[in-house]
Amino acid sequence: MGQDPLLQTYDAVVVGSGATGGWAAKQLSEAGLKVALLEAGRAVTPREFTEHLPAYKLKYRDHSPEVLRTRPIQKQCYACMEYNYEWFVNDLENPYSTPTGKPFTWQRLRVLGGRSLVWGRQSYRMSDNDFKAASRDGYGDDWPISYADLAPYYDIVEKYVGISGAAENNEMLPDGRFLQPMKMSCGEVLLRERVKAKFGHTVTIGRVAIVTENHNGRLTCHYCGPCERGCMTFSYFSSPFTTVKDAVASGNCTVITNAVVSHVNMDDGSNKARGVTYVDRLTRQVKEVRAKSVILCAQAMESTRILLNSSTREYPNGLANSSGALGHYLMDHVTGGGATGRLRDFKTLPNANEPHRPNGVYVPRFRNTPSSPRHSRFIRGYGYQGGSSAQFDFNAEGYGTTLKHAVKDGAYGISLGAFGESLARWDNYVSIDPNLKDAWGIPSLHINMTHGDNEAALMEDAGSSAAEFLEAAGAKDIHVQFNVESPGMAIHELGTARMGNDSKKSVLNSFNQAHDVKNLFVMDGASFVSSACQNPTLSMMAITVRACTNLIDRFRKNEV
Amino acid sequence: MKRRDLIRAGVLGGAVAALRPSVATAGQNAALSSELTPAQSGVDASKDLDAPGWKPLFLDAHQNETLIVLSDLIIPATDTPGAKEALVNRYIDLVLAAETRETQSAFLNSLGYVDGESIRRYKNAFLYLAREDQDDLLHSMAYPHNPSRWTGEAAAPDPGHTHFDALKRRIMTAYYSSQIGQKELGWDGAFAHGPYLGCEHPEGDHK
Ligand SMILES: Cc1cc2nc3c(=O)[nH]c(=O)nc-3n(C[C@H](O)[C@H](O)[C@H](O)COP(=O)(O)OP(=O)(O)OC[C@H]3O[C@@H](n4cnc5c(N)ncnc54)[C@H](O)[C@@H]3O)c2cc1C
Ligand code: SF4
Repeated sequence: MGQDPLLQTYDAVVVGSGATGGWAAKQLSEAGLKVALLEAGRAVTPREFTEHLPAYKLKYRDHSPEVLRTRPIQKQCYACMEYNYEWFVNDLENPYSTPTGKPFTWQRLRVLGGRSLVWGRQSYRMSDNDFKAASRDGYGDDWPISYADLAPYYDIVEKYVGISGAAENNEMLPDGRFLQPMKMSCGEVLLRERVKAKFGHTVTIGRVAIVTENHNGRLTCHYCGPCERGCMTFSYFSSPFTTVKDAVASGNCTVITNAVVSHVNMDDGSNKARGVTYVDRLTRQVKEVRAKSVILCAQAMESTRILLNSSTREYPNGLANSSGALGHYLMDHVTGGGATGRLRDFKTLPNANEPHRPNGVYVPRFRNTPSSPRHSRFIRGYGYQGGSSAQFDFNAEGYGTTLKHAVKDGAYGISLGAFGESLARWDNYVSIDPNLKDAWGIPSLHINMTHGDNEAALMEDAGSSAAEFLEAAGAKDIHVQFNVESPGMAIHELGTARMGNDSKKSVLNSFNQAHDVKNLFVMDGASFVSSACQNPTLSMMAITVRACTNLIDRFRKNEV
Repeated sequence: MKRRDLIRAGVLGGAVAALRPSVATAGQNAALSSELTPAQSGVDASKDLDAPGWKPLFLDAHQNETLIVLSDLIIPATDTPGAKEALVNRYIDLVLAAETRETQSAFLNSLGYVDGESIRRYKNAFLYLAREDQDDLLHSMAYPHNPSRWTGEAAAPDPGHTHFDALKRRIMTAYYSSQIGQKELGWDGAFAHGPYLGCEHPEGDHK
């Protein structure tokens, strides 16, 4: 029997075991630090993976009333299904509030691995066009780090995670260390050729955290398709079966599941964090974990919620919040602009026995780049995700034998949908709702966010440009969308504890260390200064590894 | 065979088993069974609707019979089985029984609309019409009444098509998500067909 996990003082307590927390636990424990990894949810085992289960084996074939009853918000995400809804939070137990007319859909998983279990795996680097965007167009603030600071950590993360993709030498989208790219369909190759010829823009195969070669004990993807239900061969990256597993194997990491962290504890008089308090999810017993450093990786808004719930006499408006910036500058990519069409000349029929490529194509940002003119109606830009393939036509007209045949004749579809930059604005924020608590008695968040005029102009442009791209590829029956989806729908929440060099205007320094409390760190997407338009998780993980490297160094120098 | 056995027996069996053991140690507490979805705990519900003595949970006998006839006109048996054999009515009944009252009444309204039109035009409920008349009625509802190309007049509201379409969508979802429907689409029952080869045509010659 080892020591009671709650009686020790750890070198570090890491809160959250998802994409970022897994990395923090791995890096710190492999460096020899004693780590406690606290996770609000239960452990997940591969026995509960359902990616190979056909829908007809489900009682409601993915129309279960139980999902709608307990997860009305989570269900708005395509990945929350009758197969796996227990991985997503129960909305009845995990409330939050929004002002009237300002909806925010907050998608969360509370199990070991968090959202890394169901994520879309799209993985893109950011560039200095993002880190130094403010210097270039005058809006907002630059990051305190540059691409050169982060590049070595992108390398480390990519090498370990396994990112399949193709190098393009694009000024907005730095290349990485790629495994074999996945292949493009005929429609996608045509789109790539035409968009390059007509507009000079790049269409590339999606860069995904899925291994296309056996890699670190994980098997190459066998193209079964529905990754959000799990992966028996661990081909896509999820933390429980990679980083967390390594952390445990180091012998230095104690995983404590079902530990819902409520707040950070401060040592009286020393301005240092002493550890955290958690509520046992099942028994409701309240427990304390002591550590020399506290690292929050609970995902941006949850980490900030913990800090807001940790007020003290010195920090009455939330721990480490002398700047007042804690909770502010919430961002989530804007979506809703794009187009769909059909390639009528393509005669390929849909085939139920084809491999399902868990990936699409990507168009890197082409607006407001160093080599393009400034756009008159908006700053920053957007990238597209899309795809093209033969599909069964479940929208076929009519009925009877004709309908049955029309479904199978199908249609060769093509589509592009944008993810646009969400500008960092002070008036997009989270705060504690004094009248709302979760099922563990922990005060809940009030989320106040809207997309603004710039985001709307981006989606407007994204709709028309997508239509032009599809037209260039010869598509017909083009439908254009100019919507602005409600915030949260991109599931890329960022900001609320931004990093910066000025402690009066930011919460963290460039190594994710709180300006106010030197042994307190927030190492997830809360630290983002701007959102860029790339899917953010790869950058989050690189930032986590960079911050951990610095912390390990400081432990070695006895500075903690 | 249980799902897990199927996988063990399949091509991935050895590899999956080899990767599995080290992983379960990552967390301390074993998962509680109540925190798994039925699918995650291995429940196979595919035979539930075949039960002998099946009775509708939500529809009355007339509605159920009407739905069977209607679904089999929309997706008939051809050289492959149709909606009736796929027990489309039973699946729809199961889902309806768990839906909200608004959704339930919208469905009954659409089904009732078909009977209403049938009585108005042919003086009897849809179920009792001759096959030709059933077909005739469906034909009149199946296609949208588009705005006039000649005068540019906006289309009048088209309740017949709206109700038809709502019923057709439910029937199609039920049919194509059934095992019969999956076979109809040509699925061979294997869960993977990799690797993905993509386009192999020369530039400018994609089809
Ligand atoms: C369907 C879907 C598709 C996505 N697709 C992409 C994509 O293609 N590309 C991309 O870059 N990103 C994508 N994302 C976003 C990506 O999943 C997140 O950016 C990433 O997981 C964030 O990592 P994280 O460590 O901050 O949080 P998470 O991975 O969410 O992990 C947070 C962990 O903290 C735990 N936790 C929370 N609160 C507490 C508490 N109080 N006490 C203890 N533990 C706590 C949670 O239980 C969870 O395990 C997608 C997300 C979803 C849901
Ligand atoms: S498609 Fe590939 S990565 Fe996704 S679940 Fe299947 S094997 Fe795993």
